[in-house]
Amino acid sequence: MMGKLRPGHLVEAAFWLGLCIFLYAYSFEFDRDIEIYKYGASGWPRAIILLIAIAAIGQLIHHYVKGDESSSQMISAAVDDGSEEAAHEAHHETVKWYLSTFALLSIPFIYMRVPEWFAGTSEPGDPGLHTWRLIIAAILVAIVVYFIRHHRVRVMLMLPLFFASLLEDFGFYAIAPFFIIGVMYLFGERRAKPMALIMALIFGFMLMMFVNILYVGLPVGNIEPFYSFGSWVVTVLQ
Amino acid sequence: MNAFDNFLQGTVTLFSDPINILIFLGGVIGGMLFGAIPGVSMLTLAAILLPFTAHLSAEQGIMLFSVMYCTGVYGGAITAILFNIPGAPENAPTAFDGYPMTKNGQAGKAVGAAVMCSALGGVVSTIIMMAATAPIADWAISAFGPPEIFALVFFGLAVAASVGAKTFWKGWLSILIGLMIAVVGLDPVGGIERYDFDMPYLLAGIHFIPTILGFFAVSEIFVQAEKKVRGSYEAPKLSVDFPSLSELIAHKFAVIRSIVIGFFCGILPGIGATLAAFMGYNEAVRWSKNKEEFGKGKLEGVISSETANNAATGAAMIPLLALGLPGGALTAMMVGVFQMHDMQPGPLVFLTSADLVWVVFAAMFFANCSILLIGFLETKTIINLLRIPFQFLAPLILLLATVGAYAVRGLTIDIIVMFLAGVVGFFLRRSGYSIAGIVLGLILGKIGEQTFAQAMQMLHFEFSGFFDRPIALGLLIAGVLTLGGSIYGAFFKKSAAPPTTGSDTPPPASG
Repeated sequence: MMGKLRPGHLVEAAFWLGLCIFLYAYSFEFDRDIEIYKYGASGWPRAIILLIAIAAIGQLIHHYVKGDESSSQMISAAVDDGSEEAAHEAHHETVKWYLSTFALLSIPFIYMRVPEWFAGTSEPGDPGLHTWRLIIAAILVAIVVYFIRHHRVRVMLMLPLFFASLLEDFGFYAIAPFFIIGVMYLFGERRAKPMALIMALIFGFMLMMFVNILYVGLPVGNIEPFYSFGSWVVTVLQ
Repeated sequence: MNAFDNFLQGTVTLFSDPINILIFLGGVIGGMLFGAIPGVSMLTLAAILLPFTAHLSAEQGIMLFSVMYCTGVYGGAITAILFNIPGAPENAPTAFDGYPMTKNGQAGKAVGAAVMCSALGGVVSTIIMMAATAPIADWAISAFGPPEIFALVFFGLAVAASVGAKTFWKGWLSILIGLMIAVVGLDPVGGIERYDFDMPYLLAGIHFIPTILGFFAVSEIFVQAEKKVRGSYEAPKLSVDFPSLSELIAHKFAVIRSIVIGFFCGILPGIGATLAAFMGYNEAVRWSKNKEEFGKGKLEGVISSETANNAATGAAMIPLLALGLPGGALTAMMVGVFQMHDMQPGPLVFLTSADLVWVVFAAMFFANCSILLIGFLETKTIINLLRIPFQFLAPLILLLATVGAYAVRGLTIDIIVMFLAGVVGFFLRRSGYSIAGIVLGLILGKIGEQTFAQAMQMLHFEFSGFFDRPIALGLLIAGVLTLGGSIYGAFFKKSAAPPTTGSDTPPPASG
């Protein structure tokens, strides 16, 4: 009945078809006529949506008939970067793994939204919002530290996004060193001295290259004392 | 001026400016290094450097990318031969015989052959490119209107989708997602907002620089995190021994065949150099009287693969410069460099920026020549640099990408978009989708929609108008045939067993 289909294939097809339905429904938001162009603004995207749906159904049939077989040996060898095999070997293909990964990936978005709900404002300079941002950031950092040891790939996927979400408030200069150490740790480095040395080298290189030589204005943050620290670094280097 | 005079002029411009020389050398060494280091590729370096090319002139930016392209394709051969880890997909067939040669104590000869044949394939391809691109561009100015360009985009996407991913369907879905991302923002005819979700940031569309950085540089780090690559290798003792003249002459047909195969694969959009290397290798097996020796350390295997993949590099520049259409991920990034300088690649570049074209041609010629010199002098240094553990490289790459994404517009949301693209890219890659296909769709999507709209207006919204334009019709038919062939193959052809690239046992050579 299921041919060579696996549950993952059905999830994949459901994802693509769900995406098509969502994109098609949203296309009515801009379904307006253009005087000189009879297909309007929605003609091109709807044609692409139709093709995505056809390709998703074609893929489902392919999976039903041939399972995970690649189209040809040459193509498979050419595009294989080992990522599928790595995921399989690490048992990172289970529903539980995906659910927990997406749960961890929500951390940066929690930081982007939740402080505003507690503070009741989204005014960037509001002191109450700053306090809530500090509190929420501290809690989320504690959660990340808790997970970092045993969920390396999941945290690796989330950490850069979390780092990016913190940049606006805490600035590049205050949090980049911790980010460097975090990434090294996630890649298996445990020796404190090399980590400190490499962190200093990378951070020093970034500061000299981009702040001192190229004058790139990296985020200094909004929240004290991080803002003052970032501004001080820029003043010293430039 | 004839082509030779233009080439001399380009050479003088290239080497008379110390900054140009510095950029040239940086591209040569950077491409070779990133091509060689497993876990990153020249595409990673290109993605990181893309935002910073805004600080360079268009000439310097394109020259840097083209030089990296040439040497990056060679760089991946070193690790393919010494460690059985191809630096890039286009070096995978090199490992089939290169690594057994290393195990047989012939590493020096294999690397020497890769150095010589990469340089030879690249130089010949560059010379043909110099001779052919300008006439093609001249012809394209009069022969190519919006219907032809749309038809060419369609054909290019059909080829790229058919050969770029694990299956035909995944290839198409990759391309279509790229096309869909390109839809976000204002429509090219009426200026109506599409898929902006009431976010002002999305009105200008999703910027291609954070997207490219995320898909190539960031997703690569995530993949390596999953593989838990530590990046420290036990480098074997190495010397570079060039094959003797008699050995090279004995393989002259393999070299010529691979140059021809590489050049024609390079012209086709999609995964030119990779396809070239596999086809070059497969043809070498097919034409050989001693097929059973392939996969056990046969010099001809290395020669065929490395000649073909470098021969594809010059060819890939022809559609980009003559027609304005990128054929692969790196040439798509070059379109980005052009756009950052308010320019569009295409036939008019030869009229408006002839200097740029000839500096790029000269740089590619000398980059291929420099493979010989640097390959001979610096291979040992590169091997030592490969010992840098990946856990020290990963934070540097992520921070460079962060600064690169932020520097374009000074928006932290660009950094968030980049890391999101990295996460999406990671999940798509482990499911067999093609990141290069997405980026190609993203870059060609805008050109495709715009030229389709112009074409339909020109043809009074009659599709039959394409029948009166032989070039457009030919390209559309070629695209439909490519699609039809792929669909037939996807359903009715029996595929071979999956290969074992990267393992100790090289896959059996097909053919």
